[in-house]
Amino acid sequence: MLVLTRGSYALPGTSIDFKTGTWRTSRPLHKHWAAPCHSACPAGEDPQAYIANVQENHHREAWESIVHINPIPSITGRICPHPCEHACNRGRFDQPIAIHSIERFLGDEARQRGWEYPIDLGRGAGATVAVIGAGPAGLSAAYHLRRRGYQVTLLDALPEAGGLMRSAIPINRLPRDILDADIARILALGIEFRGRTRLGVDVHLDELRSDYRALFLAPGTSKAKAWSVDGAVPTDHRTALELLQEWVAVGSLPAPQSVIVHGGGNTAVDLCRAMRRAGVKEVHLVTASGLPGPDTEPDDIINIVPRELEQAIEEGITLHPHRTIQRLLFRGSRVVGVEMVTLRKLPTKSGQTGRIAFEGTETLLHADMVIPAIGESVDPTGLGTLLGGGREYLWPGNPFGRLEHTPGLFVGGDARGDRGTVSAAVGDGRLAAAAIDSYIRQSDDPEVMSRAVITFDHINSSYFEPAQRVEEPTLSVAERTDTAEIDRPLSSAAITHEANRCFSCGSCLACDNCWTFCPDNAVVKTVALAKDGSHYVFDYEYCKGCGICAAECPCGYIVMEAEL
Amino acid sequence: MLSALEGSQAVARAVGLCRPGVVAAYPITPQTHIVENISKLVADGQLQCELVSVESEFSAASVALGAAAAGTRAYTASSSQGILLMGEVLYNISGLRVPMVLTCANRALGAPLNIWNDQQDSMAVRDAGWIQLYCADNQEAVDTTIQAFRIAEHTEVPVMVCVDGFVLTHTLEPIDLPTQEQVDRFLPPYRFERALDSRHPLSLGTCVDPLFFTESRHSQHKALLRSMQEIVAADSDYAGIIGRSCGGVLSVFGSAEAEIAILAMGSVCSTLQEGMQIFSQERVVKLIKLRAYRPFPVSALREVLQGVRELVVLERALAPGSGGIVGMEVRSLATTMNSPPRIHNYAVGLGGRDVPIEIYPRLIEAVTCATEPVWFEIFDVEVERLPIEDR
Amino acid sequence: MTTINESAFDVEIRKAVLRSKLKERHRVETSFPRKRKEEPALAELRERQPAFRGLEAGHRACQGCGEALAARLVAEAAGPDVILTNATGCLEIFTSPWPQSAWRVPWIHSLFENSAAIAAGIEAAMKHQGKATKVIAQGGDGGTFDIGFQALSGMLERMHNVLYVCYDNEAYMNTGIQRSGSTPHAASTTTSPAGQERMGKRHLKKDLLSIIASHHIPYAASASVAYPRDLRRKVRRAMEVDGPTFLQVHCPCPLGWGHEGAVTIEVARLAVQTGLFPVVEFERGEVAGVMPLRNPKSVTEYLKRQNRFRHLFSNDPRAREEREHLQALADRNIEKFNLRGEGMDPLDSEGADTVRRGGLVA
Repeated sequence: MLVLTRGSYALPGTSIDFKTGTWRTSRPLHKHWAAPCHSACPAGEDPQAYIANVQENHHREAWESIVHINPIPSITGRICPHPCEHACNRGRFDQPIAIHSIERFLGDEARQRGWEYPIDLGRGAGATVAVIGAGPAGLSAAYHLRRRGYQVTLLDALPEAGGLMRSAIPINRLPRDILDADIARILALGIEFRGRTRLGVDVHLDELRSDYRALFLAPGTSKAKAWSVDGAVPTDHRTALELLQEWVAVGSLPAPQSVIVHGGGNTAVDLCRAMRRAGVKEVHLVTASGLPGPDTEPDDIINIVPRELEQAIEEGITLHPHRTIQRLLFRGSRVVGVEMVTLRKLPTKSGQTGRIAFEGTETLLHADMVIPAIGESVDPTGLGTLLGGGREYLWPGNPFGRLEHTPGLFVGGDARGDRGTVSAAVGDGRLAAAAIDSYIRQSDDPEVMSRAVITFDHINSSYFEPAQRVEEPTLSVAERTDTAEIDRPLSSAAITHEANRCFSCGSCLACDNCWTFCPDNAVVKTVALAKDGSHYVFDYEYCKGCGICAAECPCGYIVMEAEL
Repeated sequence: MLSALEGSQAVARAVGLCRPGVVAAYPITPQTHIVENISKLVADGQLQCELVSVESEFSAASVALGAAAAGTRAYTASSSQGILLMGEVLYNISGLRVPMVLTCANRALGAPLNIWNDQQDSMAVRDAGWIQLYCADNQEAVDTTIQAFRIAEHTEVPVMVCVDGFVLTHTLEPIDLPTQEQVDRFLPPYRFERALDSRHPLSLGTCVDPLFFTESRHSQHKALLRSMQEIVAADSDYAGIIGRSCGGVLSVFGSAEAEIAILAMGSVCSTLQEGMQIFSQERVVKLIKLRAYRPFPVSALREVLQGVRELVVLERALAPGSGGIVGMEVRSLATTMNSPPRIHNYAVGLGGRDVPIEIYPRLIEAVTCATEPVWFEIFDVEVERLPIEDR
Repeated sequence: MTTINESAFDVEIRKAVLRSKLKERHRVETSFPRKRKEEPALAELRERQPAFRGLEAGHRACQGCGEALAARLVAEAAGPDVILTNATGCLEIFTSPWPQSAWRVPWIHSLFENSAAIAAGIEAAMKHQGKATKVIAQGGDGGTFDIGFQALSGMLERMHNVLYVCYDNEAYMNTGIQRSGSTPHAASTTTSPAGQERMGKRHLKKDLLSIIASHHIPYAASASVAYPRDLRRKVRRAMEVDGPTFLQVHCPCPLGWGHEGAVTIEVARLAVQTGLFPVVEFERGEVAGVMPLRNPKSVTEYLKRQNRFRHLFSNDPRAREEREHLQALADRNIEKFNLRGEGMDPLDSEGADTVRRGGLVA
């Protein structure tokens, strides 16, 4: 029996007995979205997650979070075209986070401080797996298989591991001491490396298949694609990759007065820059893609690192975007130029997009040399029937690289045919390792977790301040050489500044807003109880469902869900 | 020890002896001298209290409420319009069961503006849930003021001490003020169980819904009824320590067997008492001096009215359109008696109209000659002073 | 932030509450009883939050109530050694339906117009008792701008050591949205409705803060629920002053202003960012600080989010006129208080709510 108190006083805080949660018609939930940087990363990194660690000055945890996915952040931080930054929601506010700088910094820190990969080597003694090709895909697969306890043998035709990273990436973009050190660190995990072992020559697929429980094929693409314009080919025809590899290996390049490079990737731009530095006066890049800008669709932007493009322009490369070569101009048998035509990537009748050339936009461009940089295909040597029927690539048709008709065989990297970056190759290696693990254990393919991607309109930008993006200092054009790294490192302070610009899209920033703004004390701050990575739990006994927490969450981490 | 003191000064000194922690002061005639005198005590260092000179009676009552609720003995005083301006707070203080003491220097209510004495002001707030004690003279005012603190603190019902304006407040009389030591013995330090205290954070003044409001009113009513015993007990303890009594809830003068009685409250009792002595050759009469109007002492009154045939109820206020206020209550009490007296209800001395000693024989004559009981009349009205249509 | 350890008394009170039969009390049940099993750890965790919780959960404020939030923040910043008074109004009603109270600090409600006077009495008592407990008087805009103004002015003039907090939601909300002296010009309320002949309230919002500041008190400031860091700082600043201080906290009322509870903070923020509600500080009657506006927004941004201004977006030519009028009033505030910021300032209208990992810097 409730008894009236004298003067009807009440005891403190007794309203706690009144459960206002019954008023609610919708409730807040924590929604762990995929940040756009995460969903855009071909390697599968979650930059938002490791940047959160950097914000707390936990650099080692941040690095460990990366190498859980990608063992070579100091390399990808340097050479990846970082689609993460293009996707970054902060780009809609001021400028995207310099994710690559943070990644590179963490990779360098790990190497310099000797942080060991967070791998339990005691798990060894598992089954044996062979990895063919020690490029980024092969290294990644070997690493991830090793993490899972497998005995890995890594084979490569070249004497040293690294693949294209070693043979084709300019030294001034990826210093070789860094490459060597990172590869050595991976191999030191207990991966057996056998160089100078060419598939189909020194070793054969059949014997490998019988010696190992599974194979991962990452041979890369080394066979130049046939190139001609209306059947015509210059007499001094060399591909960009050949020239670039030669330059990387021995440092020499042909030096005509002027050159036209045809293509839209890093190989093309790297070669342009190398030739320009080697003394070629006029270097033209003809590419079907567009330059970054408001008029260019995201999937039509030239696929190279934006700062590389800027540096190329700085160095005097002339760009001809949205152009293709329609005709070669000959004087006798010697090429003296090309006829270009404007084209655009547009939807076609079939519903897909295609590049459409516009009649009447033809222009002539004169040069002493025309070099195609339109890509390479898989060298079929030793692959037997895997590459039959005139196919240029292995096309596995699934994200794990599983070759459907050849059990135990997996493929990744450029050889897949649908890849083109080191980061994508790293991602292939990781997914294949998981699939190989499932294959050996005879379980189903691993589940690929995919979260909805959070868009900018879910971010409450009131809570963020405009802040200048940090840029790595670069050597001036005059200071640049073939060997010295052009992009210089950033200080720890600059990295902290940059990390603090992160919106933490779709993940709890632990900013306290929900806790601060709840009129009903229905958000409880915690570390232990929040099992979802946030620092708060909703107390549904009291939450009235007003939605302030969702509206004022800077990160879009809180959504309202209707209740019956 | 007797000393000649003005009524207001005597009340102020009595308040000082009670060691209030907070006094809220706001001027209004004829109360002003009380807070002036308290201010002087504070200024002279004779009283350690926070004197809050507020900007209105409304705030005076509120400040006293706050202070008392916070566990400090609190006091204020007012009159007339000031009492009405406080009205809302008065109900609140009693409803919260916060003990405090207020002196009402009784004065008429406007309009027309009039600063002189009657009791319309305290009558206007008779249902505010306060104990109301009426004083017949300044010695009683002093003693009642001191007793009021103890009554309030024991019952957790606030007490209004009603002292007729000018007639008492501005009159010099020989007064016997108790010593500080005596008052300290009688009145222990204030302790309020539900005091606002950050170590014991209670919430006071909550909202009570219809499910419990009835009980809250019942409880308040009962508290006032029970305070009757405390009024008597305080008076008797006071007599034990200080040697003087105020008669509890009421006192009777004259012969207990008298068949004619006059019931009155406040200073008019002193006038009537004097009249009884001067005109002692008249009929045997007894005077019932009602000290406690709230709580209304029903059984004590019924007892003293046994055997009375003619009862005059004399009051200094009225309920226009109805009649007497006290008279009405006495009349309703009489209906519960086996042989009730005839009741004659008069208002006198409104707005400071003189109540001469001759009123006594005139009243006696009027009631003994009356064939019918007088339902209600303003005794000394001179209707010729009004236009014919307003008579 | 400080951690408040539960005092022995708290424990005692809690046990008493559990022991008592209060559990059987009458409760308002909705037709939809939900079964939710609360982990005991959650209730325990409530007791160990890293901020003092002066206002407990379970109060009956509407969804998204700005006043409840403001009061919570004030009580948090003020800490446990306080005594609160409360004018009649929503805050009083939704926090204290007997036998429950949401207050964990001593609290008293007396009447509509005497919050300041009750506080003055308590403060006098504290002085007499030799205690340092700070007294905080609370009231809505009706209880402060209008009916309680006299008692407030008296309290300030007498220099009581009281912090008066006015929760300004710009109308009498408890009684059903009637216009007050604080209601902004042209706002529609139930006693200043928009209609054929009228465009809402005909008069201006009273410049109460200037009037308060003119009492020459040590500190008077305005603040907004949209800027809790600024609000907390001001509460603490006022707590430190030995003398009368005043805070006017702008807090939207979703019901009265006609917006969803979810946008309470956004609306409050816009009031500041447009200049309609200047966030300023006075010391001894002089402007001592302002929250500069980095990029003043158009008042339309603010008005269009609220139904109380819906008539200002009709085809009536007077609608445009009143919008311009409100813009001019905002501009006047910006000019009068020199609100236009210069460049980026961490304490301006954009910078003052910036978040960082690990919580607001209090």
